[in-house]
Amino acid sequence: MTTPPDPADLSAPAQAVLVESASDHPGPLLDEAPSGKKKNRSQLADIWRRFKRNKLAMTGLVVVAIMVVLALLQPIITPFDPYDQNLLNSLQPPNADHWFGTDVLGRDLYSGMLYGLQLALIVGLCTMLGSMTIGVALGALSGYRGGFWDALVMRVTDLFLAFPYLIGAILVVRTFGSGVPQIILALVILGWPTAARLMRGQILSLRESEYVEAARSIGASDTRIVARHILPNAIQPVFIYSFTGIGVAIVAMASLAYLGVGVPPDTPEWGRMINQGIEQVQVAGKDFLWIFPSAAICITTLAFAFVADGLRDALDPKLR
Amino acid sequence: MGKFVIRRLAQAVLVVIAATLLLFIGLFVLGDPFASTGDKTVPPETQAILREAFGMDKSLPMQYLTYLGNLFTGDLGVDFNQRRAVSEMIGTALPATARLALVAIVLDVLIGVVAGIIAAVFRYSFWDVLVTVLTTLAIGIPTFVIGVWLRQTVSGWWIFPGVPRSFTQVVPWWQEVLLPAITLAVVDAAFIARLMRGSMLEVLRTDYIRTARAKGLGERTVILKHAFRNSIIPVVTYVGISIGILLGGALITETLFQYNGVGFLLVKSINQNNNPVIMALVTFAVLIYVFLSMIVDILYAFLDPRIRLS
Amino acid sequence: MSSAAEIDLEGPPSPLLEVRDLRVHFKTDYGVVKAVDGVSWHVDEGETLAIVGESGSGKSVSAMTILGLVPSPPATFPTGDIMLRGRSLLKMPEKQQRKLRGSQIAMIFQDPLTALNPVFKVGDQIAEMVRVHQDVSKHTAKKRALDLLGEVGIPNPAVRLNQYPHEFSGGMRQRAMIAMALANDPHVLLADEPTTALDVTVQAQIMALLEKLQEDRNTAIVLITHDLGVVASHADRINVMYAGKIVETGTADEIFYEPRHAYTFGLLSSLPRMDQSHQERLVPIKGLPPSLAAVPRGCPFHPRCDFATDLCLQEVPELRSVGGNGHRAACVHSDRVAMAHEERAVL
Repeated sequence: MTTPPDPADLSAPAQAVLVESASDHPGPLLDEAPSGKKKNRSQLADIWRRFKRNKLAMTGLVVVAIMVVLALLQPIITPFDPYDQNLLNSLQPPNADHWFGTDVLGRDLYSGMLYGLQLALIVGLCTMLGSMTIGVALGALSGYRGGFWDALVMRVTDLFLAFPYLIGAILVVRTFGSGVPQIILALVILGWPTAARLMRGQILSLRESEYVEAARSIGASDTRIVARHILPNAIQPVFIYSFTGIGVAIVAMASLAYLGVGVPPDTPEWGRMINQGIEQVQVAGKDFLWIFPSAAICITTLAFAFVADGLRDALDPKLR
Repeated sequence: MGKFVIRRLAQAVLVVIAATLLLFIGLFVLGDPFASTGDKTVPPETQAILREAFGMDKSLPMQYLTYLGNLFTGDLGVDFNQRRAVSEMIGTALPATARLALVAIVLDVLIGVVAGIIAAVFRYSFWDVLVTVLTTLAIGIPTFVIGVWLRQTVSGWWIFPGVPRSFTQVVPWWQEVLLPAITLAVVDAAFIARLMRGSMLEVLRTDYIRTARAKGLGERTVILKHAFRNSIIPVVTYVGISIGILLGGALITETLFQYNGVGFLLVKSINQNNNPVIMALVTFAVLIYVFLSMIVDILYAFLDPRIRLS
Repeated sequence: MSSAAEIDLEGPPSPLLEVRDLRVHFKTDYGVVKAVDGVSWHVDEGETLAIVGESGSGKSVSAMTILGLVPSPPATFPTGDIMLRGRSLLKMPEKQQRKLRGSQIAMIFQDPLTALNPVFKVGDQIAEMVRVHQDVSKHTAKKRALDLLGEVGIPNPAVRLNQYPHEFSGGMRQRAMIAMALANDPHVLLADEPTTALDVTVQAQIMALLEKLQEDRNTAIVLITHDLGVVASHADRINVMYAGKIVETGTADEIFYEPRHAYTFGLLSSLPRMDQSHQERLVPIKGLPPSLAAVPRGCPFHPRCDFATDLCLQEVPELRSVGGNGHRAACVHSDRVAMAHEERAVL
């Protein structure tokens, strides 16, 4: 099942705990600018200190950093054009020239993998940014305004969440045609409702918290309350979820590609590589064809998951 | 309680109807199923004939209303390719998917609940650490990858039938269901174990568990009766939603293992642009998912008397 | 009566429950927390002993230790023992201890809302208490639960029996907790802040109910509270605890009218009194109770004490007799406290 488990449910316990912590430390928010900012900075340092202690999370972060560097350097460090076919040189096992071997069309797999990495990170990042922007904005609107806006946003999320993730994504891609932007669009459409729900839940519980009441009682404006008192606290679980979201998006693209939906057929994309590799194994017994791309997906998602886990623990040490 | 059920039901019906509308727009308004079949371009005359045959020459709202009407009478139309009744196609695929979902759920609930309880009760012990490590891996590694690994390594061994299978080979259903079910169960079992551990730890800290111990109850009764009833509630929610997703078709897993369920059927139909089948299968997936979520809500209320009566 | 009950009736009759030099320490990352540090007291049938102290003074931990509900590890019990009719509870195997829990020693807790399991009916929870310790049918147990609910003054018990905790008001829930605690006619009832979470009017009702039930059954009650006001008219004897130790012990009259420890004096000064003709300023105790991981040198109360001198730093004062039979205090300045109290009373 590549469908991500409904995060609306899973986030519930984490959410509860985060809310608890938020009400425990309302300190810096009621203070006016100078002292508040100072405290915030030390809070960040605190989070970073706790994060650093978590070996798994640090490993994840290092892996993510390496992947970003590799993706940025991709055009320079790939020895071959990932699209370049060479039928005389097909299905080579890994060797000095072709570190990961070549596929059935004689394309260099190492170059293809790096290209796939770049693609995966672009799609993951864009999807995350897109769904977070829409989700946070609509979730905040829904949670803080309530009434009509709340009902409207919630019914729309109901509708989008009614489609199983992968099925929904396939339908969107199918409607708008294949291509990377279409995939991102599809994943954003399927992803924002979750972020919106998370955000709304946070806002709802924070809206009633004592320090927000206090801010309201001294006559702070709505915009100011949302911007300074609610958002900074409500954003935490959404922020954590966004790291998980990148992993989910990368897997979703690979799954779509495996099913033959999404990226154009000859694109060096991990899911597609696995699909083609698996078929070649039946004929030629070349296991490296699927081992490298599946390992790449696995490492990528694990790295992002570890960072998300570490972040969650660092933001709220009580969770463990 | 009655009011709650009715309100929830109305909400579910509305969501399903809205979803079919969205689906209809996506499939028939924004995309033209007959513009091409696979790689070949279809001549305009043929397209016109096809449109008429499938009732697609009528106005779009008409088509949609006809579809909705037929949906209620159980008539799902015929597929574009071989003119088979869609309801029949789903009829043969659904039992297979239901078997798969059932086996997967039984596996993951058994493993997940037991592992979660053990991890919570013996917190910080070797077993707790083991469960944490395994669940982290199982959740971090995508099902897609787990499926690929299982298919490429263990299929064909021992009792696991090989993939792809030759047509002549007859495999008993329980052997066929084994590998896809394990693939699906890995992630869900990990999530359930985590949920169970978390909620059990929370419940074990509560005052009423202290009361139960102060009553002189044995540790077994305290955990399996008092703590279990309270901590199982989030797991029930998760399992309900999970069944809903699985019944709608596990696209990747079924395709990987060429398991003839609704998921594989949907993937095949998508690749063939077989709109009536897609429409029916997705509607079914949404329907199942929405109604199971509703049942979960109601069950939740049943398990937690505080919600039931308010 | 169950078989567990018979085991312990054989011991010497008095005292009913005795705590001897009990220490409960917890090993934590910040050092050893001495939650209870050498505490001795006893309680007899039909008697009410109050243990008074701020949170963190070790009063609740003592009660949980008596019930055997303090997990070890992390807790250790370096010295001391708890005797129920002469039999050691600490040395008893867990299985036997469990038989006493709920049948001989029962407990009611501070927050009746969270102390009852939300997913089971109140009647079933009481009936469970009966069936754990007595070999009776479900029906009999339920009948007993019904009687108990009536006895603790819950109107319409037949209906209430089949309701869930959240359908009860706070006071009703505490009555239900009391009914559960008394289901097996225990010899000792540990009441940990039984009225703290309740409205003032309900507090009085619950205390009156406990007193009435005590008269009917001759139960010993150990009343644990931070509120001297609650114990004023209900306790026979009072132990005042501070930082894991008993700092003063005596009859209720002695504690209220002849306090000999600076802490007790401080507690009384912060309490409004009905029996004084003119309004007097209430004096709160300054500062906060110490962290049990870092208890101050010498008398643990000295940093907050108005009477403190260098004398207080030299050693931890021992409980010593300050008159009466059994009135004891652990304060080097008990004479000055006595004088200060006289002055205050005269004003």
